[in-house]
Amino acid sequence: MTCEEFELAGLDLETIQGDDPAHSAVREHLRSCPRCAALQENWQTLQADLHAVGAETQEAEAPARVEMRLRQEFRTRHKTVKARRAAVYAGWTLAAAAVVMAAVSWVNWRHENGKGSPPSAVNSEQGGNMNKTTPAGPELGETIVASNDAGEFTLLPGSLPGLLGDATVVRVQMQRGALGALGLTVNEERAADLIQVDLLVGDDGQPQALRLAQTTD
Amino acid sequence: MHIEAQERDDVLLRRSAKGDERAFTELYRRHQAPLYRFALRMSGNVWAAEEIVQDVFMTLIREPKKFDPERGALRSFLYGITRNRVMKHLERAPRELLHEELDEDTVGQRGLGFEALTPAEWAEVRERREQVRAAVLKLPVEFREAVVLCGLEELSYEEAARLLDCPVGTIRSRLHRGRALLLVKLEMLRDTPKRAGASR
Repeated sequence: MTCEEFELAGLDLETIQGDDPAHSAVREHLRSCPRCAALQENWQTLQADLHAVGAETQEAEAPARVEMRLRQEFRTRHKTVKARRAAVYAGWTLAAAAVVMAAVSWVNWRHENGKGSPPSAVNSEQGGNMNKTTPAGPELGETIVASNDAGEFTLLPGSLPGLLGDATVVRVQMQRGALGALGLTVNEERAADLIQVDLLVGDDGQPQALRLAQTTD
Repeated sequence: MHIEAQERDDVLLRRSAKGDERAFTELYRRHQAPLYRFALRMSGNVWAAEEIVQDVFMTLIREPKKFDPERGALRSFLYGITRNRVMKHLERAPRELLHEELDEDTVGQRGLGFEALTPAEWAEVRERREQVRAAVLKLPVEFREAVVLCGLEELSYEEAARLLDCPVGTIRSRLHRGRALLLVKLEMLRDTPKRAGASR
């Protein structure tokens, strides 16, 4: 074994097994080379010194205040995270509730619009703004029948077509039999039915014409 | 929640990430001492070591997902963070290499045979150890790591290689170089006869 080889392997003498051929070679070299023997001795002294220095702090550990600070930080952090999470959940819940409310409101609004005005409601429209047809007057002695066509007004007996310019449409609910009082022919079997009727009311407050708006059962 | 003594680190870390303080405390108690000793021996400063350990575990609190159990043990991961913090500390305060703050509690004297020494011998031993400690702190960082782990902490080459995430051969060669430098710094080669034809 040369000195270079000894420096590479021999200084770790304790890690070489006793039955390893390198072990006997190292021992042989140490006997024959005073320099390497001195180096080995210094090396072992250094090992002992390092061991002693290591032993001085072998049981050193972080002071208890470090653990306290870390646990405090841990609690603060996880409380904050929990609070933030709760706020996020609450926010999403509120948002979802608002969406549901909006959807329900919209559905209700649509439903009510589809059904039209409530049966007892009275819609008034100024005649100047409405799109109404002025029917021709009935021939004398002719039987007048209210049309089910909602777009057409039927002049009542005695009304003059030319006086309907400023008339107002009034929607009323009545029994079908009441149409007889206005001079119309009524089917007796259905006289008790409730119907909605748009009356074209003239300036004098008298109905001039009518149309059947919708039958309510 | 009950903590099993042998509960795996990654399981504890998962529980800790979900807010289980006992799991975190168990992890801390399991790993703080070797990390603190490593930081202390590398920096030579108790305050720095304390700050470094605190910083390491703060990272574990803030970013537990940084640890990937498939890439290695938690201890190696923590050593990695500790090394980085030590490097930063050494860059920031390269001359702050004093062990003067070490008190009697930190520097245990149990079983070191101080009781059998005369005051003069005791002073000599103290001085000698101070020289060795100072020489270790003056080593280049990569050699110092190897000397601290294998010479002071007395880990095997394999354990040190695992912690430093490098091959065993690298540890062996760094330790060899580190020891050689220590011999020079401690002037232990002064009385050694020169090798024929050798140039140092």
